Amino acid sequence: MEIIEKIITNKSIDNQTEIQKICLDKLQSSPFPNPKSEQWRLSNKSKFANFLDYSVNEKNSKFDTPFPNISQKNIRLVIGDDCHINLLEENYSIKQLSEDKLVKYIKEQISCFDQNENWSDLLNLSLNCTKNTLGLKISGSEIPPIEIFSHASSNSLNAKTLIIFLEKNCDIDLLQVNLGKEKSSLSQSTFFCLEENSSLNHGVVSYGENKSNLLNSLNVIQSKNSEYNLGSLHFKFNYARFEIRIKQSEGNAKTKIKGMQITKKDEQISTYARIDFNGPNGFLDQINKSLADDKSHAIFEGSIIVPKIAQKTDASQLSRNLLLSNLAQIDTKPQLEIIADDVKCKHGATISQLNEEELFYMRTRGIALTEASKLQLSSYFQEIISFIPVSKDRWDLLDILLNEN
Amino acid sequence: MVNENLVKDVVKEPYKYGFVTDIETEKIAKGLNEDIIRLISQKKEEPKYLLDFRLKAFKKWQKMKEPDWSGLGYKKIDYQDIIYYSAPKQKEKISSLNEVDPKLLETFDKLGIPLTEQKKLTNVAVDAVFDSVSIATTFREELAEHGVIFCSISEAVKNHSDLIEKYLGTVVPASDNYFAALNSAVFSDGSFVYIPKGVTCPMDLSSYFRINSGDSGQFERTLIIAEEASSVSYLEGCTAPMFDTNTLHAAVVELIALDDASIKYSTVQNWYAGDEEGIGGIFNFVTKRGKCLGKRSKISWSQVETGSAITWKYPSCLLLGEESIGEFYSVALTNNLQQADTGTKMIHIGPKTKSTIVSKGISAGNSINSYRGLVKMGTKAKGSRNYSQCDSMLIGDQASANTFPYIKSQQPNSEIEHEASTCRISEDQLFYLQSRGIEFEEAVSMMVSGFCRDVFNQLPMEFAAEADKLLALKLEGSVG
Repeated sequence: MEIIEKIITNKSIDNQTEIQKICLDKLQSSPFPNPKSEQWRLSNKSKFANFLDYSVNEKNSKFDTPFPNISQKNIRLVIGDDCHINLLEENYSIKQLSEDKLVKYIKEQISCFDQNENWSDLLNLSLNCTKNTLGLKISGSEIPPIEIFSHASSNSLNAKTLIIFLEKNCDIDLLQVNLGKEKSSLSQSTFFCLEENSSLNHGVVSYGENKSNLLNSLNVIQSKNSEYNLGSLHFKFNYARFEIRIKQSEGNAKTKIKGMQITKKDEQISTYARIDFNGPNGFLDQINKSLADDKSHAIFEGSIIVPKIAQKTDASQLSRNLLLSNLAQIDTKPQLEIIADDVKCKHGATISQLNEEELFYMRTRGIALTEASKLQLSSYFQEIISFIPVSKDRWDLLDILLNEN
Repeated sequence: MVNENLVKDVVKEPYKYGFVTDIETEKIAKGLNEDIIRLISQKKEEPKYLLDFRLKAFKKWQKMKEPDWSGLGYKKIDYQDIIYYSAPKQKEKISSLNEVDPKLLETFDKLGIPLTEQKKLTNVAVDAVFDSVSIATTFREELAEHGVIFCSISEAVKNHSDLIEKYLGTVVPASDNYFAALNSAVFSDGSFVYIPKGVTCPMDLSSYFRINSGDSGQFERTLIIAEEASSVSYLEGCTAPMFDTNTLHAAVVELIALDDASIKYSTVQNWYAGDEEGIGGIFNFVTKRGKCLGKRSKISWSQVETGSAITWKYPSCLLLGEESIGEFYSVALTNNLQQADTGTKMIHIGPKTKSTIVSKGISAGNSINSYRGLVKMGTKAKGSRNYSQCDSMLIGDQASANTFPYIKSQQPNSEIEHEASTCRISEDQLFYLQSRGIEFEEAVSMMVSGFCRDVFNQLPMEFAAEADKLLALKLEGSVG
């Protein structure tokens, strides 16, 4: 209840918007997610409480990024940083959504929220003001890659919302970066709406600092013949939760997800993915990798839901995990719920440590143990990193990760 | 190879075990309270420690809530509307099978379990349980020569009280879960097996559970103890008559394997599943667990689940001893409105422990078939391995197949592999078989049989044939 009270009494959001009021109302009936529910069962309670500990801050501190400077080819937007964009080029257009449209869309979304499953979105929307919401409508092709940054300032809780409509036949690379400063909490909610024949290569890089927390919720609705590719990377957060909800609303769509989470010290990072097939001929290829070291805890829960209407769905989900320390733990639960009979669905999960035989082989060839494990790790990371768009050429994510390890 | 004629013979048969034996029974009043528990205990002339065990469990049960996490939909059970003790009336003490009511013997004859000396199955000792009591156990003398104790649990309480007191409730504690607590409070009968050190049980042991009355629940308890370097194979079969009410079956099975011991526990569960509209059928809530206490001990569960309106069953292994092995092989078939939520738990505690899970689910009609399993590597399970494979087959577009594997690891030096797939009966294969002159339904039976082969290979001979027949029978009319 405390958090709700805090939000209500917080003077900075005295002028509550309509959306904030609706969400606060909903939150009042369930101020906390149900700790016994599958989605929240493994969530570390004290770490979650720590997320809510910081006071809400709508103002943004100066933004500095450890990542490369903007290149001329790319478009970089920072949510909350008074970003305005209105591009009308020959081949494409990027327009900012009007406030009316944004409110209408968010209201529609809220009406289909599940109190427990969408708790992170409810919190996000009840904290967020218009200033920290970015809504875009993108159409056309040959669009330059877009980078969108969200960040939380030290000692505060920041909420950022991103809404993007991709119009028909639109094709785009988009990288979303979530940065957590020392002792901060970031609540990020993202909504994508992919129209027919559109294609989105989406990258998410979430990078924290000491004692930073993240609630990252991603909602994607795919129309037919759309393609959505997601490459995600979460690391260095005291507590991070990545929720992916993808709905193929008419089937006939393609989804590929490659995600990775790396935990160290006593961090806890979890990924929850739910993919709904609401039409026939859907396709999903998902792989989630975790690496847990020291006393950390990595969690993956994925569900694939195939109702009767989704005949000829082809879905696969793989959870691969590396457990590197005696005190670390990994939980994984890839699950299938199927009613249609003409489908191909499979999932798999493995948990192990670095392959000893491979290490031994490399050592017999004169490669030192640390070097050999680095080589192994880099091949483990590479599969995911190469799938993250925009970063490929300019960002040395692999080096960052290997130096961290 | 699937015996095609066998499948063909039985495809047209209805649930053939659905008859009721007209026999005078002794029942106690409906309802559950402390007095009823005292009465059951008194009827069984139990020692005080067992009455205390029951009352303690009852107190715990009263405080517990019926679990709802499985998502099984069934009408609420009125625990006060069940008869907790029902026994066929017979002479006080039976010294030989000749004194057993002929009607009872006839019942088991009809079920294909002849108990009389002339007809009894060769090389399988049977403990037949009818409603709440065990009525006969065959081959006892022969087993006794090898030091094997095989009797009903009521007899074991009287004759081997020390073993019961030492082991009862050590694997499945009374407070383990709602249904285990209920069973601990009111359990009526079941089988007890003790295999002494170094003995390989000379024959398969088997118990056959029969529910006869429509308003009484069955709450049996099985306890199997395998001492050092011993081994035993145990079979369990179950049937019930057709009633349009639901009957509750809440059993507890506890297995204990000491150093180098091995226990193989096979079940063919064919309780009445209810009719096509989902009326009637058994609610089957069972807690089965084995403890591999000793080094290099092994517990293997194999099950064929075809019956019951509701199945809620997770035969599990606690792998404590170094290099101990747990296995789970399961075929679960659901049709019409049946719901099955079954799987296993493999808890790796000791080092170098190994477990294998092979689960095959077949859902037809409007049924729901879920695999729910847990694999856990504890911090001390160094060098342990697990391999799980869960395959589902869907027949018809109304059936549902779910897989919920919970995997947890706290030991880097261990390996867990899990894989699951879903498929349907392939039209190409079906076409091929039909083009070779094999009837449609028979072709389906053959393919289902092939799908389940990995599990059937683990079943004892007699059971494998029976299981094959059962699957064909259950699928009748559900394809096409």
